[in-house]
Amino acid sequence: MFQVLPGPIEEILAVLQYWDHLFSGFLLTLWLYGWAIFIGFFLGLILAILRQYKLPYRTFPFLGILSNISAGFIEIVRGTPLIAQLLLIYFLPYSLNLPIERWSFSTSFMIFDKEITLILLNRRTLTGIIVLGLNSSAYQAEYFRGAIMSISSGQLMAAQSLGMSRFSGIRHIILPQALRRVIPAWSNEAAYLPKYTVIVYFIGVEELFAEAHWIVSKTFVSLTTYIVIAVIFLVMITLISKLLDIIHKRTAIPGL
Amino acid sequence: MWKSYDDLDVLKGVSFELAQRDVKVIFGPSGSGKSTLLRCINMLEPPDKGEVYLSGQNLMESKININALRARIGMVFQHFNLFSHLKAIDNVSIGLRRVKKLPKEEARERALEALHQVKLVEWANHYPAELSGGQQQRVGIARALVMEPDVILFDEPTSALDPELIGEVLQVMLDLAKAGTTMVVVTHELGFARAVSSEMLYLDEGVIVERGTPEHFFTSPKSERVRRFLNQISILYGGREKFLELSKKEKNE
Repeated sequence: MFQVLPGPIEEILAVLQYWDHLFSGFLLTLWLYGWAIFIGFFLGLILAILRQYKLPYRTFPFLGILSNISAGFIEIVRGTPLIAQLLLIYFLPYSLNLPIERWSFSTSFMIFDKEITLILLNRRTLTGIIVLGLNSSAYQAEYFRGAIMSISSGQLMAAQSLGMSRFSGIRHIILPQALRRVIPAWSNEAAYLPKYTVIVYFIGVEELFAEAHWIVSKTFVSLTTYIVIAVIFLVMITLISKLLDIIHKRTAIPGL
Repeated sequence: MWKSYDDLDVLKGVSFELAQRDVKVIFGPSGSGKSTLLRCINMLEPPDKGEVYLSGQNLMESKININALRARIGMVFQHFNLFSHLKAIDNVSIGLRRVKKLPKEEARERALEALHQVKLVEWANHYPAELSGGQQQRVGIARALVMEPDVILFDEPTSALDPELIGEVLQVMLDLAKAGTTMVVVTHELGFARAVSSEMLYLDEGVIVERGTPEHFFTSPKSERVRRFLNQISILYGGREKFLELSKKEKNE
C-alpha cells in the first residue's frame, strides 16, 4: 500500500543535509524554553505565594487584593488557549496603534563550513518568550501552591513562635520543603513546555518546527522530517526528565 | 481575653496572670479553648478583645514589633511541628541564626547545649523523620528553650505520643520546671501537674470554671463538672486501680 521512494535512508540523508537548519532551530527552541521556564518559575513562585498567603492587612492595607489578582490571572491563563494568548499579545501593539520599531538582536557563528544565524531577540521572539513565560507561570504557580499547601501549616506557626516573621518563615521553612516536594509534579511542566514552544511558529519565529517546515518545502520529504523533529524532542525531554529525577533523589530529606 | 471564630465564641473572658518561675497547668475537655488560649498569648491568633502583657508590654498594641516579642515566648506543640528539612541541631539553632542573628558557630554551640539539656546530643545530626515521637518532642522543647524565652507555652506536649514515650518528655519538662522555668502547660498529665504546678485552671466552654492548687483539685473540687472530668481523666491516665475498680463494678452490675 505504501511506497516509500526513494527509500528511507535516502530520505533521512536528504533531511540531514540541512542539519544546520535543524541545529539552529534546536538552539532557538532551547533558548525559548530556557527563558520561558525561568520566567515561569520565578513569576509562578510569586503568584503561588501571593495566592496562598494574603498579605496581612495590618501592615499592608488593601494589598490583600494582590491575592485575588494572582488567582484571577492564573484562572484566565489556564482557561484560554495558548494560541489565543500568543496572537493577542502579538497584535496588541498594532491594535493600540503603538509605534513598532524594527529592531533585532542576533548572533551568528560558523560550524564546519556552515554559518548559523540565530535571531535571539526581536519583536517576534520577545513576544514568544513573554507569552510562553506568562503561560508557564500560571501552571507552575498551581504546582507550587499544591506543594506549599502540602507542608503542614504548623511549621509556619512554629517558625513564627520562634520570632521569625511570616515572610521569613515562608522563605526559610516552607519554600525549601515545597520546592523539594514539587519536583515530580513540576517535571510535568518542564516536559510540556518544550513542546508548547512550537506555537511561536505562528508568529514567524524560526525555531525547530519552523525549520522543519522549511526543510519540507525544500525537499518535499515530510514524514521523515517530522519524525526527525519528533525524535529530537523525545531525546531532549527524556534528558530533562532524567535530570529532574536525579535532582529529586539528591535533594530528598532523609527519613521522609 | 475574648476570641471567636465566625459564630463560635471560643474564649469568653479568660483572665489570669503569671509570675516568674510559675508553672500553670490548664486542663479541660476538648474544644474548651485551651489551645486557642495559648495561641492568643503569643498572638499567633490575636484575641478579638482583651489585653496580653509581657513584663509590662502590651502585646495588643499595633505599633510594637510582635515578631521580636514572640521570640521571648517559647512554644511547644502537640504535633511537634519540627522543620522536616532540617537536622535536629539546625531545628534548634535556626531561631538563633535567623532571629537573634548569632554567628553560625555560636548558634551551633548553644544548640548543642540545649540538646544536651533534653539528652539528645547524639541525635543532633538526624532529621525529624528519623526520630521517635518522644525524641521529636524533646527537640521541640530544645528549640523553644534555646531562645531563652521568658515563658514557654506547652500545647498538649504528650497527647500525640505513644504511652511508652510520654515519660521521657515529662521528665524533661519536670527538670525544666524544677530549674525555675516559667511555664504554661496545657495537659491532662495530672501526675505532672501535681508535681510541679503552682496553680491549675479548669477551662470549659471558653471560661475558667475553677482554679486552685493541685491539692485543691485532687481533694475537694467545687463544681460537679470538674469532678466528673477529673474522674474520667484519672481512669485514662493515672489510676490503673481505678480502672480495675470500674471494670469490676461493671461486671457486678
